[in-house]
Amino acid sequence: MLRFTVRRLLLLIPILIGLSILVFLWIRALPGSPAEALLGERATAESIAQIRAQYGLDDPLYVQYWRYVQTLVEGDLGTSISSRRPVSTEIRERFPATIELTLAAGLFALFFGIPLGFFAAKRYGGIFDNSSLVLSLIGVSIPIFFLGIILKWIFAVRLGWLPSIGRQDVLIEADHPTNFYVLDGIVTRNWEAAWDAVKHLILPAIALGSIPLALISRITRAAVLDVQNEDYVRTARAKGLPPRTVDSRHVFRNAMLPISTVIGLQVGLLLSGAILTETVFAFPGIGTWIQASIENRDYPVLQGGILFVAVIVVVVNILVDLSYGLLNPRIRLAGR
Amino acid sequence: MSVAEIEAREIQMEGGSGDLWSEAMYRLIRNPAAVVGALIVATFIAVAIFAPLLAPYDPREQNLDLIAEGCCPGPSRDYPLGVDDLGRDELSRIIYGARFSLLIGIVSVSVGLTFGLLLGSIAGYFRPLDSPIMRVMDVMLAIPGFLMAIGIVALLGPGLGSVMIAIGVINVPIFTRLMRGSIIGQRDNDYVLAARAVGVPGRRILASHIMPNAISPVIVAGTLALATAIIDAAGLGFLGLGPQDPATPEWGTMLTDTVRYLQSAPFLAILPGVAIVIVVMGFNLIGDGLREALDPKLRGRA
Amino acid sequence: MRKLLRTGVALVALSLLVAAVAAGSADRAAQANDTLVFAGAADPVVLDFALISDGESFRVLYQMTETLVGLKPGTTKIVPQLATSWKKSANGKTWTFNLRKNVRFHDGTPFNAAAVCANFNRWYNFRGALQSSSTSYYYNVVFAGFRYGKGSLAAKNGLYRSCQAKGSNVAVIQLRRAFGPFLGILTIGPFSMQSPTAMKKYGADKGRLTADGVFQPLGTYGTAHPAGTGPFKFSSWKVGDNLEIVRNDDYWGKKAFLRRVIFRPIADNAARLQALQTGELDGYDLVEPQDIATIKRNKDLKVLDRPAFNVAYVTINQAVEPFDDLRVRQAVAYGLDRARVVKSFYAGRGVVAHEFMPSSIPGYATNVKKYAYNPAKSKALLKAAGLTLPVEVEFWWPSDVSRPYMPNPKNNFQAFAASLNKSGFKVVAKSAPWNPTYLGRQQAGTAGALNLIGWTGDYADADNFIGTFFRTEQEAWGFNDPKIFDLLNKALQETDLEARAALYQQANRYIMGTLLPGVPYAHTKPALGFRRTIVGYVPSPTTSESFASIRKLG
Repeated sequence: MLRFTVRRLLLLIPILIGLSILVFLWIRALPGSPAEALLGERATAESIAQIRAQYGLDDPLYVQYWRYVQTLVEGDLGTSISSRRPVSTEIRERFPATIELTLAAGLFALFFGIPLGFFAAKRYGGIFDNSSLVLSLIGVSIPIFFLGIILKWIFAVRLGWLPSIGRQDVLIEADHPTNFYVLDGIVTRNWEAAWDAVKHLILPAIALGSIPLALISRITRAAVLDVQNEDYVRTARAKGLPPRTVDSRHVFRNAMLPISTVIGLQVGLLLSGAILTETVFAFPGIGTWIQASIENRDYPVLQGGILFVAVIVVVVNILVDLSYGLLNPRIRLAGR
Repeated sequence: MSVAEIEAREIQMEGGSGDLWSEAMYRLIRNPAAVVGALIVATFIAVAIFAPLLAPYDPREQNLDLIAEGCCPGPSRDYPLGVDDLGRDELSRIIYGARFSLLIGIVSVSVGLTFGLLLGSIAGYFRPLDSPIMRVMDVMLAIPGFLMAIGIVALLGPGLGSVMIAIGVINVPIFTRLMRGSIIGQRDNDYVLAARAVGVPGRRILASHIMPNAISPVIVAGTLALATAIIDAAGLGFLGLGPQDPATPEWGTMLTDTVRYLQSAPFLAILPGVAIVIVVMGFNLIGDGLREALDPKLRGRA
Repeated sequence: MRKLLRTGVALVALSLLVAAVAAGSADRAAQANDTLVFAGAADPVVLDFALISDGESFRVLYQMTETLVGLKPGTTKIVPQLATSWKKSANGKTWTFNLRKNVRFHDGTPFNAAAVCANFNRWYNFRGALQSSSTSYYYNVVFAGFRYGKGSLAAKNGLYRSCQAKGSNVAVIQLRRAFGPFLGILTIGPFSMQSPTAMKKYGADKGRLTADGVFQPLGTYGTAHPAGTGPFKFSSWKVGDNLEIVRNDDYWGKKAFLRRVIFRPIADNAARLQALQTGELDGYDLVEPQDIATIKRNKDLKVLDRPAFNVAYVTINQAVEPFDDLRVRQAVAYGLDRARVVKSFYAGRGVVAHEFMPSSIPGYATNVKKYAYNPAKSKALLKAAGLTLPVEVEFWWPSDVSRPYMPNPKNNFQAFAASLNKSGFKVVAKSAPWNPTYLGRQQAGTAGALNLIGWTGDYADADNFIGTFFRTEQEAWGFNDPKIFDLLNKALQETDLEARAALYQQANRYIMGTLLPGVPYAHTKPALGFRRTIVGYVPSPTTSESFASIRKLG
């Protein structure tokens, strides 16, 4: 186990280096000067010339890269051009929102996806199975932002059941010690605030979680179907064990193996889907921030934001790999 | 007849290329979902190819008189699906949109497939090149695909070409991994070893045993990649990174431009959105059907 | 049986959940009557008026800070604000302001002549990064000279000379030359009076230049302790989420009705509209044309008009042949179907523009030469200029942007291209993202022969429009016409209001008749959307309205 862990962690290093090089080169190659963007129509030829004179990008690339790595190591990811604040500060303030949304979407996908897939497998070929297949098919086929807009229109505008923007009703007085709004509400015993935060999460979580939901339900169904036909299940049934015990002790536990791999892979999907979802719901997380930076050509933000998200995905994937090794002895022992 | 000979004949029956495909076809036809998917895809391709014959109007022709009262008049006799905010016929734009979506899907997936298959085969066969190639793929896979596509389009400048290249590039690692894994898997497979032991020449092993089986997951992945390509293109368009020519009747761009009219003329956004959903569903259905049809585990069980 | 029971329980639980959710929504409807929730498109950058140039910072800061002279609400008429009266010297270089008595800044320190001079001198004494026009844009544009400036920014090249405080209620500003628009520019926010004590205490000038040439403020004045004299004062700011200001109960004038205002940044226009419909917002600015009908149809909402103060125009780059020939430019003017564009894409909120400034500013001339759409005339003119039809013309438009004067550049472009193609031209379409490429090229004169752009006025003076465009030689326009340069410079120095108006009228006639450097096509009334329960909001042409007069009914 230790060797496996160490190998996996060692792999992390070249990946991170590769990532930083990729992002650095990408930023240097992007067209346009962001400082000009601040002025809009008001930019006169003189002001543009003045701003250009403040650029210091004449040093050779490797020197620039080394300086870049140094600042990275210090935790300095640059300064946002639109807001003039350090990128690391922005990330620190906005990331909890995205985590909350991603968690909510993931929980939604798991909570509804696994039972859906399970029961679809149990009722193989029946109406429930087929309709769940159609549903999950639609789930992966619909663009997230389209789904988000439709959901918003139906449930927020037309029916008025749920809020359409933000994380919390501005008129609710609430403290935010952890910056995770639901948790904050619980910790400060402000139940109204906690419930309000949950309400604001529902629609975006459904939109964002639609694809993972579809995938998880399909994988669960396939895994359960596979396991059901395995010899050891048949043996257990032949032994006379009640079906529910067979299900929970053998089928479910073994089906969870492929499911757990898929869960880990969803993180990348969820984080990149967050960009589209947050925009539609004006959710103040990393997603809206990156989307605004695209429009504003706010390159430090794009650079820092994408690098940050990529690192998170890498770390999560490594953790998933490790946990998969824990769960599946074959992987561990093979060492490969 | 020795045991070896009997087994050799069995192996030939199992691994023969002709048998694999016809068996898959047989199973495919009997899968109702796959048939529906095939119909959808076929219709889509037909509409895309015969667009000039099917569309009643030129999709770029403006008719500003129609929207003099404001946007936008809905379906009418002359314009079955209504007109958009520049007075262009929606039906024609949807029809021609199929062309663009097909183009985006095919070009981007081809780019990904070509480079992916190439790199994957090299990595699968030549052991010394395996590790470096896969490390690079790991780095590329580390960044979530859509995010990377954003980066690539930002680098190349927004536009149809950039979108196709970007989506192609993010598909490369997937196909590389798939192809390599497939080749490695097949290489050490029992029946290949057995065929080698019996004396079947290496070239034939490659052609009739390894390749057909290695290709099938790629075909499945390719079909599904087509579906994702269309969705990713729509997403990139939503962020303002898609085709810049204003008159382009591409579904993703149409969706982006008309979302603002959701409250005043919802059909303008719903039509391209539904078109995307249906076509993507079609590809997914076929992809799933192919996957089940080509699954070696199910072979021989009919 | 057991299964039935289980499904039954599940259904009951589900319906309880739905009911709870639906019930909660009722609370939202009963919003506090003393609080206004308003959405802009983005967060302010920093709450220090001298260091910003973006609309959202303006909007918030206008509630908290005031200038020496102000504008009558809804108009461009100059009225007293922190100064009660003023006079200028005969040579126009010395301005004496009598200041309002008994006014305090939000931090309790008194507003007086010393504070006025402290503010002016602060700007004049800016060093290093603060001198850059990406930091102190408006000071650069108007005054342009710093005590410690070098080259073009040297003190002697600027407008400001000095400020003297005579007692505590009289401030005298000395300029280096006569400057007609002086009062007009003093109405804009970047020249408002902020508390010198607070600025010093919280490091308003502290900051550094990042590697990208952006000034990053490091003090806390602009993020946590802004102090002006306005009817509202700062309360709290959570970037990306909301910014709260509260009523200043020690205000010298009529106190605000509202107890507090909360600003929320919502970038997506559709999201703003929906939030207004659900009641999560009380109002927002920059309503898109196609949503106006939706708002009007809703019985709980209403649309407010902002008086037109912008102009959309097609630039003609005379450096590109054959557009240096007046006849060719006239052909362009006759070949653009402006009436149709304004009718189709401005949702009834646009009027066709006949000159480069809106009619509300003195200096507007009603008798300029007008160009109605006439393809035949275009063709005739092109032939008269000795050209073979169709004449190829590169026409640029900006992508991924929406401006108040040009809500949908794509649509404008397509319609214009179509009409030009019928008028003897062959349009070659080009586009680039608004920032930075399009703007950069437009300024540098490399955006083809024709391009779409516009301008929203900053202050109520003709120089802000046609002076900015035509007072100096610029690459964007590609011409060198000493006659118009001289005329506009003369008008700039003229401090007598009537004489100035006459000069600008003369300039407008010349521009639209003999020079024709471009074709203005629209002035728009931007729209705001509000819930019907909000009254007393008077939009200003320069977006400098105060929220103090707003009341929330019911």
